[in-house]
Amino acid sequence: MSEGTKQMTTKPATDSLRPMTEVQIKQTRDFIKSLEEDCETYWDMVSVGDVLSRDLEITPELVILYADAVEDYTPWYEGWRMNEWRIDGQSPFGNAIVPPLMMSHFVLSVQFDHTKPFAIGSIHTFHDTELLAPIFVGATVRIKTTAIDKFVKRERRYVRHEVEVSDVESGKIYMRETRDILSR
Amino acid sequence: MNVSNTKGKPVPHDDYRITKDTPVGFELIGVKKKAAIQLMGSRLWGRFNPNHWDPLYADETGLDAPIQTGEMSSAYIAEMCVNYLGASVFTGARIQCKYVASTYANEIITTYGKVRDKTPKGDGYRFTVDLWAENEDGERKTVGFIEADVDV
Repeated sequence: MSEGTKQMTTKPATDSLRPMTEVQIKQTRDFIKSLEEDCETYWDMVSVGDVLSRDLEITPELVILYADAVEDYTPWYEGWRMNEWRIDGQSPFGNAIVPPLMMSHFVLSVQFDHTKPFAIGSIHTFHDTELLAPIFVGATVRIKTTAIDKFVKRERRYVRHEVEVSDVESGKIYMRETRDILSR
Repeated sequence: MNVSNTKGKPVPHDDYRITKDTPVGFELIGVKKKAAIQLMGSRLWGRFNPNHWDPLYADETGLDAPIQTGEMSSAYIAEMCVNYLGASVFTGARIQCKYVASTYANEIITTYGKVRDKTPKGDGYRFTVDLWAENEDGERKTVGFIEADVDV
């Protein structure tokens, strides 16, 4: 752990890691309080065999949001650029494409049933991902998750899912994945 | 494949590409990122779980500091893979990541890669590259590998 983090841990506060006024601190504490709702653990929430599916339109702006959050400035992903706004972009495949593991992140929005309270305390621990074909920016994909196992390892509870990401229009399969979530 | 952006300048990846002549044992130069609290608290990650962005909440739940989502480490590793393997990452590659330790706010994370194996395939090879990410103290946070075709 870095020196900056060690210093923070001696006196943790809402504004330990970034400057805030008392208004911002109050807004943050109120927001966190609003998140505290009764919910099941992820272990209890999921049954083996559960299948969930959602469709996601991958807009250029969503790709920029992701790429900026991980500080990846590879130009292949740019289907939006300031001043020009939406553009076709360029990649080795033609137009702009989606970063390799962006869809893997959005699996969380499917396997954690978004119609139920979020199970705070769950941690993503593992993924094994096959990237079968590039996804062009602007595509609409179907993310389908299937709970295939629940197991205990070293007294920790894990839920395992299989994932398939496909094109809504053509049915083309873009990605397959196996992933584990550690539950409280 | 030489790809240019709209300014006519080549993207930087081509300077670092793994080719079919790249030997086993070759070490990739990774990417380096700071676990910045502002990025950890991005709406992209949901903000459902304050353990990822609030120091006080993290402390109350027994963490030394807010922790990054694993997806951030995977993205850093994927960026390095695209730098070295280019378009191959998107066409039949397999990438596996295991989050073996938490990445805390303010840590500096560097990704690494080393060619473990290359198996003849078509006119080229299917490469296996060991991947990992670690902090400034050499503590490994994420480990895994990628398999991808090169010059096939």
